[in-house]
Parts: sequence; structure tokens; C-alpha cells
Amino acid sequence: MHFENIAEGVRLCAQNTDKFKTCRINFSMAMPLDQDASARAILPFILHRRCAKYPDFIAFSRVLDELYGAAISAGVSKRGEAQILSFSMTAIDDRFALNGDTVALECVQLLTDIIFDPLTDGESFPADIVEQEKRLLVEMIENEMNDKRRYALTRCEEIMFKDEAYGINRLGSVDEVKALTPEKVYSAWKDILRSATIQVTMVGSMDVDPVAEILKSRFSSIERDVAKIDTVFVNEVNQPEYICEEMPIKQGKLVMGFRTGMADEYDNSVAMRIAVDIFGGGTYSKLFSVVREKMSLCYYCSAAFFSSKGIVMVQSGIEDINEEKAKSEILNQLSLVAQGEFSDEDFSSSIKSITDSIISNNDTPETICAWYSSQLLRKNLKTPEAYAQELTEVEKAQVIEAAKTITLDTVFMLKSNGEVCDDED
Amino acid sequence: MKINEIRNELLNDMYYDIDHPSGLKILIMPKAGYASTYAIFATKYGSIDTMIEMKDGSFREIPEGTAHFLEHKLFESEDLDAFERFAKTGASANAYTSFDRTGYLFSCSGNFKENLEILLDFVQNPYFTQATVEKEQGIIGQEIDMYKDIPDWEVMFNCLRNMYHNLPVRIDIAGTQDSIAQITADMLYDCYNNFYNLNNMVLAVAGNTTVDEVLEVADRVLKPVEGKMAQRKIIEEPKEVKADYCEKKLSVATPQFMLGFKEDWDTPERTAKEEIAMEILLDMISGPSTDLYRRLFDANLINQSFGFEYFTGFGYSCVLFAGESNDPKAVCEEIKKEISHFRGNGFDEKDFERTKKKLYGRMIMGMNDIDSLANNMAVSFFAGEDVFTDFETYKTVTVEDIRELLNKTLDENYSTLSVILPNN
Repeated sequence: MHFENIAEGVRLCAQNTDKFKTCRINFSMAMPLDQDASARAILPFILHRRCAKYPDFIAFSRVLDELYGAAISAGVSKRGEAQILSFSMTAIDDRFALNGDTVALECVQLLTDIIFDPLTDGESFPADIVEQEKRLLVEMIENEMNDKRRYALTRCEEIMFKDEAYGINRLGSVDEVKALTPEKVYSAWKDILRSATIQVTMVGSMDVDPVAEILKSRFSSIERDVAKIDTVFVNEVNQPEYICEEMPIKQGKLVMGFRTGMADEYDNSVAMRIAVDIFGGGTYSKLFSVVREKMSLCYYCSAAFFSSKGIVMVQSGIEDINEEKAKSEILNQLSLVAQGEFSDEDFSSSIKSITDSIISNNDTPETICAWYSSQLLRKNLKTPEAYAQELTEVEKAQVIEAAKTITLDTVFMLKSNGEVCDDED
Repeated sequence: MKINEIRNELLNDMYYDIDHPSGLKILIMPKAGYASTYAIFATKYGSIDTMIEMKDGSFREIPEGTAHFLEHKLFESEDLDAFERFAKTGASANAYTSFDRTGYLFSCSGNFKENLEILLDFVQNPYFTQATVEKEQGIIGQEIDMYKDIPDWEVMFNCLRNMYHNLPVRIDIAGTQDSIAQITADMLYDCYNNFYNLNNMVLAVAGNTTVDEVLEVADRVLKPVEGKMAQRKIIEEPKEVKADYCEKKLSVATPQFMLGFKEDWDTPERTAKEEIAMEILLDMISGPSTDLYRRLFDANLINQSFGFEYFTGFGYSCVLFAGESNDPKAVCEEIKKEISHFRGNGFDEKDFERTKKKLYGRMIMGMNDIDSLANNMAVSFFAGEDVFTDFETYKTVTVEDIRELLNKTLDENYSTLSVILPNN
């Protein structure tokens, strides 16, 4: 991997390889998750459909078609208390271009065009485009409730983190989006170019130097003033909160949020990852093998660890009548891990399994990009191999200690309100 | 043992096509510089296979959802579950049942031979008892309930149920609570013996691997069996749709829709050329570079979820347009108008060439990751093709082919609209 500083708070991370048939480039831009979340969330969507050079979104789509179907995608995510705006592009490697076209570099240019030279209307974005994107973003936020699994997780987060920035939806809120003006959005755009922590990650056979040059020249005209991003790690839990909601659904969704007791994202995080994996990671985990397989209490039951906030979220799809049984068994399985009630085999299986999947990240441009771009807020970037090495150095006792500090904070149960009836057919 | 090499020079890819003495087709694509390996052991048995062919040539019906049920049960054994065995080796294992096949797979970056042995072993050694069947009915019952809450799934199956009178593609892959209640251990053994014979299966491996290591395990673990590739019964289906509209209320924010166009062909399966021509046709009518897309987008009738699919398999072919919309009926009208417009006015050669160029690039993009490569090897084999067939065929498609295809398909007299509405 090649790492290079482009400007203050802007770095380039590149893997030059001809192993793949495509190249991929990702721009990730992180800002603190705060009251401007909506104004920022709309940006990747407004920017990725058009630019000053290609103001019409259909014409822009045709330009991409001519570049052999190059695909641009936009997204917003949350990592700790950072909101991350991302732009990605996948294109075929130049060796597959017919007629000697240089696809990769043209795609990099286009990606910088959309980010740095958007379509504007004087000192703002065009009002009709902002209105259109506002409608689309509102629909996106509202439709998050369609996926009940996702909805239940979002609700649990809103409750558990109501006094913390982490409780803010990565897309902002419907009311705030509706209140956005072209000026506000334009100002948010200027703001991220000036203050976001930025990482450009690329994988493919194109030379790094021309890309670094393009980026340096783009940033040379921007006065950078990087915003500080801090994530608060809360570890005090007085009394677990329980909230239940009803909806016309067939299958209940149980979400349990836990605090890990970590001081920051590096604090014992590797041991914690193994602990959570043994508890509720793969198909050998306690949650899968006992709660699902042995007790048939659920179709899915798993635990996810978010080191960037020091939390664990357990999610399960269950019948409403099994709520109490499932909750108590999930907690029971966690306490077993904390008491060291897991075999040496479970311990080594977990390490093997996590290591195995981490090494597999090397095999597609998308997973390589995702691995490195997820580290954009870290001072030093870690390779998959380095992380895998750290895993093998963890001892069973450390895993048990880590599990002991996992404490239940919030339970959210989404239940059926009894209104759904079976289909006839 | 016959070992063929199948190459594509432009892609600079190749794979080995092997007729193993056990009767199993083995496909191996070594990929230089890859850290991991993906293997899938699949059978040509899916949710559409609701009939077992008996020795006398007649067909017996089996309960809906049996293929999927069997997939769940195969992981169990008297000793260690397959998942427990994979836990020791660190592989990530899974399985899926789709309309026309069931696949058991793993991916790993170490212990490949051990993992392959586990895979071949557990799939070849079924173990079903009444007790384990009953336990699974609980788990799958919950899976069925989970899918009932998923709007994308419901909008599609409602569309298929209204499109087809008799074809089993209209059945939910997992079946229903009632149908799975009828499944017994004996039935599972019957289905297993019928469909899980090596002549009806394929092993496809891609990534960090060699022919020798795959064959070393295959030679040791595969048990030759009697049998042949299972025959599918051709089921009579009228040309007309069963109903042209349905709606259902679910807990969604924006209505979802799926508009289906039923097709009537003389042969049960589409050729690669027909499928590619249809992809191009649909992209030219409603893709993100089209006038239709612009009109629908600017009129606030669609959002980024809008898309199309050419949904085909044994005995069924239909086109599906789907997405979220505040006015599904209006979208439906606009799509039909646009189809008529192209039928009357034809296609711009420039648009056609550009669409083909995009398709070329997208096909290349689909050939990087070992997951899709291995799955494509398996699917192509079941379709009587190879993994490069599409890539080689697309260049032969002409504007004339598109025009002819449009004259034969996308007939609004054989269309059906399925809608999911918010329930507030």
C-alpha cells in the first residue's frame, strides 16, 4: 500500500495492482455528527448525479455509459460520532478498453469534477435540484422503516443515545431536510471541503502519481481547517431501559444495546472483538448454536461490535411470545462468556474465523477500499495482515476480562399489534 | 478423466471443466494472487421442483418449500453439525435455495482442503429424523414470517402469483406454515435421493486453488452413485395472466410496485443471446440514461430504487419493473407508453451502441470476485453454457434482434401490476 499526504487532513491510500479487472476509487469525508447532519447528508446525492461540466443527469449517465459503464455511487454512514460522506467509482481497467481509451484516469477526473466543480447557480446550488434531492432524501429516511430489522436497530439507537451525538441518524431527520435551503446546502459543501477529514483510497493498475497530482492541485486552492471529531465513550449504566413498540408485522424484532466499558476505540478492542464473536458472531457462536439451533427461539440472533463507539448491539427475529425467554437466554449466554464458560476450541475457532475473513478482504477492489477507508479517522492505517497478527496474540483470559465489562443498557422490542392476517392463496 | 480448459483470451481468464469419474462435474478457476478460495457444491433442485420423477416416468408432488427445508437440514448429522466442523477450520460457510437450485458453499483463506472435504462430506451424508424435522419447522416457520414483513419480497411474490396460474415459480421458496407442516423425514430422503445425485450436481471452485488439490479431495470423498440429471416436468400454463392488479397493505412509508410482463415461448429456457438482447432492450427503454427515466424522475414518480429485471428460468420468462413510487399506476402507464413508442418508432443506433458498450464494461466488472465467478460457473453449467458465453455472445446482438424481441414481448395485454401500500 502506498500512503501519501495530499493536504492537511487529506491523505491518499493506494494499492497499485493489476490483479483485478477493474479499478476503484473512493473519497470518504468525515465531519462531526451534529445538527448539520441533514445539510451534509444530502451532499453526496446532489453531487453524484451531475456536475458543472455535465449539468444534465441523463447526459451525465450517458457519459458514464461511454466509459464502459463506469459506476458512481454515493453514500452516508456513521462511524463513532463522525458522519462520513462517501463517493465511489468503479471502472474497467484500461487493458479492457477498446480503441486504447484511458478509462481509469478519466474516471478519477470525473470523480473530482463532481466533488470540486458541482453544478451551481451563482453562489448556491440550483433550487429545483435541491428540492428534488430533498424529496428523495426524505423518502430515503422515511423508507428506512420498511426494513423492520433496520428500523428496530435505529429505534434502539435513538433511545440508547438520546443524550449523545451517536443518536443522530446518519441521514439527519425529515424535518431538518425539509427545512434545507440551497444556501445552507452550498455552505455545508464549502464547509466539508475546508474542514472534513478526507481519505482517498484507490485500487487498480493506474499509476498513483498522476492521481496524487490531480488531488494536490484540487486542494491547493482550498484553505484547510480540519474539524476535530471526538466520540464520547459512555460506560455508566444505571438501569437498563426497556421500550416496546407495536406495528402491524408478523415477526417480532428484539434489539439489545450494550456498553463495553472501553475508554476509547483502541482500548482492549481486539480482545473485545473476539469476545463478541464467541458470544454472537458466526454460526459457532453461543447465540446461533444455542438460542437459534438448540432452542429454536429465533430465525436470526447475532451480536455486532462497534469499536468506534464501544458498544455491542444484539439483534434477533423472534415470535413475540418468546420475548422474555430470548432476552433471558441472550443475557445468560453473555454471562457464560464472561465466566469463561467456552472451550479453548471456541476461542481458537473465533480467532481463525475472524482472521480468515479479514484476509479475504484482499480479494476485491471494493473490500480493499472499504478496509482502508473505514480507517480514515485513524492516524496510522493497519493492513489486514497486521490486524490478523494482533488477533493471534490475544489470550483467553483477556477475552474473558473483556466480556465481563459488557453491560446491558437498552432493550427495544418491536411487536406485532395483531393487525396482520395470513394471506389466502 | 476428461479435463477441458475453457479460456477467454480477451479476459485472460480460464478454468478447468472436469468430468469426474464419480459422475460429478467439477469446475475450477485458479486466480493468481488471490488470498482466498470460494467453493460451491450445488444441485439442480430448487423451489420450482415440486415434482419428483418416479421410476415409471410419472411425477409425484412434494410439499412446497421442501427444497429449502432440505437445505436447512443437510447441515445436521449424527456427530458434528457442518457448522461446528467449519468452526474448527475458520471457513465462512453458508447455503441458499433459489428457484432452480440449492447451493452449499464456503469461502476461506486457509485450510482449503479440509474445508472442501467437510463440504463434500456433509452434503453427501444426509441425516433426517422426525425430531430434527419438527425442530426445523419452528425455525423455518419464523423465517417465513420474517419474509412476510419484507415489502420487496411480498411485492414480487404477489406479482408472480397473479402472473402465473400453475407454474411453481409463484410459490414462496420457503413454502408456507401449512406446507412445511406436511414434511416428513421420509419425504426428505426421497427428495434427497432424487435430486442430490452427483449427475444432477456441480462443484465450482474459484480463487487460490489448484486442480490437483481439488481432485485429491474429490477422489477421496466423492461416492459414485447411479443416476442422471433430473428431468423437469413441463407444466401447462395459459398465456393470460391470472389477474392484472393486486394491492396489499404493509408497514411502508412509500408505496412499492412491481409491473410484470408475461412471456410465451416455445422452449422452456431462454438462450444467452435472448437474455442479453433483453437486458439491452430494457436498459434502452428504462435505464438511468433514458428519456423515460428522466420523465419519471422529474415528475417525482420514481426514486433511485427504480429498476428492471429479466426474470427467467425453466418454464418461465417475464420482465419485471419495480421500485418505490407515490403513484404506481402512473408509472405503469408511462412504461407502457414508452414501450409502444419504441415499438412504433424503433431505436437509435447510437443509443444501442452505447448501451452495448456499458454492458461490456458491466460484464467485466462482474468477473472480479470469486463469489460471483464460482456461482456463475455453476449456473452456466446448469444452463448448458460456460461462464464466458454471455461475454462472447453480446457482440453478436444487433439492433434488428432488439426490434424483433420487442415485437414478441412486453405485451401489455399480458401484464400485471402488484402494489404494496402503506397501511396508515
